[in-house]
Amino acid sequence: MKVAIIAANGGAFDAYKVFNIATAAAAADGEVEIFFTFEGLNLIHKEAYKQLPMPEGTEHFQEGFEKANVPSIPELVEMANDLGVKFVACQMTMDVMGLTKEDFVDGIEVGGAATFLNYAKDADITLTF
Amino acid sequence: MKADFTVDASGLTCPMPIVKTKKAINELEGGQVLEVLATDKGSIADIQAWAESTGHQYLGTKEDGDVLKHYIRKAFEGEEKEEKKHDKTIDNDGLKNKLDDNITIIDVREPAEYAFGHIPGAISIPMGELEDRMDEIGQDQEVYVVCRTGNRSDMAAQKLSEKGYNVINVVPGMSQWDGPVEKSE
Repeated sequence: MKVAIIAANGGAFDAYKVFNIATAAAAADGEVEIFFTFEGLNLIHKEAYKQLPMPEGTEHFQEGFEKANVPSIPELVEMANDLGVKFVACQMTMDVMGLTKEDFVDGIEVGGAATFLNYAKDADITLTF
Repeated sequence: MKADFTVDASGLTCPMPIVKTKKAINELEGGQVLEVLATDKGSIADIQAWAESTGHQYLGTKEDGDVLKHYIRKAFEGEEKEEKKHDKTIDNDGLKNKLDDNITIIDVREPAEYAFGHIPGAISIPMGELEDRMDEIGQDQEVYVVCRTGNRSDMAAQKLSEKGYNVINVVPGMSQWDGPVEKSE
């Protein structure tokens, strides 16, 4: 199973959608690559990913997350890394936002649209969040 | 329920039960049984789906209060492709017709597989215990050996016939069995 994911949004809910699917696929021996672009870069930004915003009006779910013992985003990122999920940050968006590879969690790669397309062309599952 | 290894994912939400299961199964040998403890109700469907995509065998789930106990048997590499060598075989229907004749059936699957469903009256001797427990089987009768797909029972049949038993391998075995089934703890 080969899975290609585009993460283009930077909220806490977006992060859970991306990393839950990615870790589940990797745990089922899937090959997984996530392409982070635009606000999606927040999901792997060393500082930003610790405090991703909840969508407006849903802040009260925070308690539910804690009660259900849902792992934090940094924990999910580490787990995805352990399971061999590949992270690719979008070079163009990094340039626009003035970010470098050092602003992100360890182990990421940097690439462009063609990098993602080349990976995704024979993927079994392609998802955009 | 006998398991070789237990991993505790209770109190954890999706995708943690699957991630923990994946990590634990890497530590097991082919044929061993993993017990996964979970409280996430979604894990009932997820563990089965995970087993289907990875090729491991989902045996079943027991509920113990709020805790779900899932049992999974790790597949051997290339498990489904082994060639069968013991030449005396009977198919499932053939065996079903003989059930009233008071025959001896040896089930060589793991105890957890046996517990989730076996032929009434079948004796559980897991493959790994066969050498030590062979003398529990009488030499004066035909012995039918069964497993899930006919591979482990083929190996068992070869071992038993080397020792002089009159053995018949049941093919394919429990994976396609539609006759009477009994469960145990």
